[in-house]
Amino acid sequence: MLTSHDDSSLVVDKLCDQARGQNTLVTCFYFDFAAGMEQSAISMLGSLLKQMVSRMETIPENIWRAFREQRQFISGGRPQLVDIVRMLQVITSSRPTFICIDALDECVGVQRVRVLDSLKAILEKSPTTRIFVTGRPHIQGEMGRRLAGRTASVSICAAKSDIIGYLRARLGEDEMPDAMDAMLEAEILEKIPENTSET
Amino acid sequence: MVLVSYISGGVIAIFLGPPLVTVPATSTCEIGVTPADPRFSSTDPVFLPLPGISTNDTHQLLLFSRASNKQWKMSQYTANDNNNFFNNSHSFNTVWNNYIVTDDRAQLLTWLSPLEPNLRHRDIRERRVSDVGEWMIQGEEFRRWCRLDGEGEGDKAVLFCSGNPGVGKTFIR
Repeated sequence: MLTSHDDSSLVVDKLCDQARGQNTLVTCFYFDFAAGMEQSAISMLGSLLKQMVSRMETIPENIWRAFREQRQFISGGRPQLVDIVRMLQVITSSRPTFICIDALDECVGVQRVRVLDSLKAILEKSPTTRIFVTGRPHIQGEMGRRLAGRTASVSICAAKSDIIGYLRARLGEDEMPDAMDAMLEAEILEKIPENTSET
Repeated sequence: MVLVSYISGGVIAIFLGPPLVTVPATSTCEIGVTPADPRFSSTDPVFLPLPGISTNDTHQLLLFSRASNKQWKMSQYTANDNNNFFNNSHSFNTVWNNYIVTDDRAQLLTWLSPLEPNLRHRDIRERRVSDVGEWMIQGEEFRRWCRLDGEGEGDKAVLFCSGNPGVGKTFIR
């Protein structure tokens, strides 16, 4: 299954490339402190589900059924977390799925607990689901516990070559190139990476 | 029976396959038109190609056009090879409010989640510089994680990429 390619970044791009021409689903969600309760566990998992469903040619019958049943009530309730997790389990157990979550540390309190417990429930039903999470180091212990030791981790620090590459690209876009000379450029490329790689 | 559900401006086509077609009772497929398609502005039934359905046999097509909020006009057609449809028994009115005519993919998606998170992704993607962070996805941890062949039975299904504020986690993922 092809996934849309205009909403992604490094890892997501890589996964989309890998998924091309296959039955694989790639989904992502980006937490942000500023969004507050708009980004609850239910809205995050609902968003993943929506991304998956919108890329499927045929919407699974159990999802249609849940939708129809809900419509019979005048209030037209939204799906509950337990319903969403169940629908995610049905989809992810039928095809390879990648879930990318950015800044999970910015999802706080009970919402993060619910997110992790839901992810665990999904993984239990689906051996071909892979979850990629970024976040600050302090949530690592919690992730290990909630996901029953199924987490590998890699620590990100900006590599010096990354910083230089980034600076070069930005210098190349300089709108006032007259203000720049070779010496200043060399100094920028030397000093900034030196100072940042200490952190 | 196959329900071909794309509806807007008031047209829904319900496709009845030949007797031996083995398709789940209410599976749906989209037909390749959008609500902006001028054909939907017509008040007459429109013929629509039916992707993914073999036309080797004779099929019947029921076409519904919206007469009012609760009333649908139903026309029945027979199709032969090459998706040519012939008007069979034209046009009888029926009230059609107990069936799936209200199903709509877009409404279902909104019901699943009202969020549209794609805007931020685009912004980040545009600000990202190519090749930065390549070391991450070339690394052994990442490659082991994204292998889906069941090695280790999905043991480490989660890869946590940790870093302090500002190191560029968002740009990596």
